[in-house]
Amino acid sequence: MAKAGIKVRGEWLKMYKTLHTWVGICSGLLLFVGFFAGALTMFEEPLQRWANPPQDNLRPASEMAAAELGQLVDTVLQQHPAARKDMTVHLQDGSPAPVVWHEGPFSRDIDLQASEFQASLDAQGQLQVRQYVPGQLAELIDQLHRSAGIPGDVGHDVLGVYLMGVAAFLYSLALVSGLVLVLPAIVRDFLVLRPEKSNKRFWLDAHNLIGITSLPFHLVIALTVVVFAFHDVFYDSMAELVYGEQPMFGGRGGAPASSYSIEALPPFNEILQGIEAEAPGFGIKSVDLFNLESARPAARVALSTDDFVTRGAREGYLVLNPYTGEVTNRNIVPGQEDVWSGLVATFFGIHFGSFGGLTMKWLYFLLGISGAFVFYSGNLLWTESRRKKLQQAQPHRRRFHSVTVMRALTNGVCLGVIAAVAAAMVVAKSAGLFAAVSSELLSTGSVGQGAVNQWLVTTYYVVFLGWLLWAWLRRMSPARNAIEMLVATALVIWLIPACGLLWLLLGHTQMSMLSLAVEMTALVGGAGLMFWAQVLRRKQVDAADTVLAAG
Amino acid sequence: MKQTSESKAVFRNHWWLKTLVALGPGFALSIGLVGLFAWWGPGGIDAPNKVQFNMWMVPLVWLVVLNLVYPMRSGWQALGWIGGLALLTQILLYFSRTQWGIQ
Repeated sequence: MAKAGIKVRGEWLKMYKTLHTWVGICSGLLLFVGFFAGALTMFEEPLQRWANPPQDNLRPASEMAAAELGQLVDTVLQQHPAARKDMTVHLQDGSPAPVVWHEGPFSRDIDLQASEFQASLDAQGQLQVRQYVPGQLAELIDQLHRSAGIPGDVGHDVLGVYLMGVAAFLYSLALVSGLVLVLPAIVRDFLVLRPEKSNKRFWLDAHNLIGITSLPFHLVIALTVVVFAFHDVFYDSMAELVYGEQPMFGGRGGAPASSYSIEALPPFNEILQGIEAEAPGFGIKSVDLFNLESARPAARVALSTDDFVTRGAREGYLVLNPYTGEVTNRNIVPGQEDVWSGLVATFFGIHFGSFGGLTMKWLYFLLGISGAFVFYSGNLLWTESRRKKLQQAQPHRRRFHSVTVMRALTNGVCLGVIAAVAAAMVVAKSAGLFAAVSSELLSTGSVGQGAVNQWLVTTYYVVFLGWLLWAWLRRMSPARNAIEMLVATALVIWLIPACGLLWLLLGHTQMSMLSLAVEMTALVGGAGLMFWAQVLRRKQVDAADTVLAAG
Repeated sequence: MKQTSESKAVFRNHWWLKTLVALGPGFALSIGLVGLFAWWGPGGIDAPNKVQFNMWMVPLVWLVVLNLVYPMRSGWQALGWIGGLALLTQILLYFSRTQWGIQ
């Protein structure tokens, strides 16, 4: 029977089977949320732009002549001293305003009312300044990705981030054990889906196929997530045990005695020319000006490129002194790093998919979604084999507590996250537009999306917990419940294109590549879930009490 | 004699012991190995920008150790190997940090 394959000792196979089962069950749900939201973070900037009411945008940099933009930046720096501490100039579209600065402290947690100051020049060249609360849809998705939405401050971050770090340890074990488990059959069964054999076989084949083909990606993700969660622990231990008296981060070369004064700052366009000379061939996305009235002023430039892996999630950086134009850090410029920084940038780049442009973004999106599928299918496969095993021991029982609980959790969490994010997107766009349109009509002067942010986060948690509760209440008829929840989730996803169309017909938005891409993707995603529900319905044998619908 | 060699060959899962070995001595071993790399690897201890790379290597080694303990014959064997290597690398690291590395 075993024609080919790699021999693995029986005792190891048995051990790895147990290991794979338990680490998978313990980490699968957290990882599902991380991967699903992670897939969305590939497009979090466009998603935010899709949700932002266009009525709220100030005139962007792309519509200004270079001289105008320079004048804007110089005027803001002159008239608003707070901006000298931390100001961002957005040179590419995507922000509601070309110039943004903050007043007050910075928070790592999601702050729904956090406002920023924004400025632009209107078409007549008049300076416009406003205090604005930006939409937080992208931030919500990012937080979900990093922490699975589990709140609570611990150490330097939220609790969920550390839990995700622990899950990554288990995940590495799940990957290695999963690999060993398929080795004996790897030649025989690889790349074979066997829908005709049984549904469970089909699910197992799909689980293995996706797991094995994307294994390198998954291994890097496991490593990077451990680093993102626990780097402080590693640095502290290294300081203690490795470096001792040695300084870890080389001295700063002695601080210059005096602070810079803002009058000495060259015009922005001159700074920009200096940047262009230092980073030829890169797109300049934005320029952050920090601490201009200190001894250590800095301009951190976000560089966009498709040709290199980058240190940031979407960009590389160049840091220079805006007064002198002297480059202070070139090691985060893509392609110009030294060996060590280059290797580190590679780890970051492989996690973020920040290379290869739009194609790679879509590939990473698919890797994230298919990764989420591996965790979902893994959990359901476990419930199936556990049910069979328990039933052999107790043939008269039809239901088993562990199976029921895990099934409800799996459907509640996985479909719940999808539905909740979709609902939050609909609320973000609709409430944002409604606020913008009504304030335009009533001329109350919009101050941004503070209320919208409240709504969007509330919606997320209400829908998520609602789905979880629903799965729990209907746990005794799992097959029917899975179908109902798939249909309901698909309908919520379809609200995204529906709401896009509605606002378009009302004349408050315009069709763009962006809106088409977001809404078509939602249409396809919803159709996928609907199709799946249809498959389950056709094969439903409720008496068999299975969510995999053994045919 | 025969009996002991047979009982030695039996594979034990020893889930808790192996996990604890991976988490405790395993972490010490990863810091130890990375520490020796930091001192004696390319560029030496004060190579600019090497610190962050070294930090990345700590969880890499740690995850490898975590994945190595379970196929070992028993928790005690894991403790012997991982604990022994951890001790050895930490001793070498101690002297690197306090004696040999100081010019």
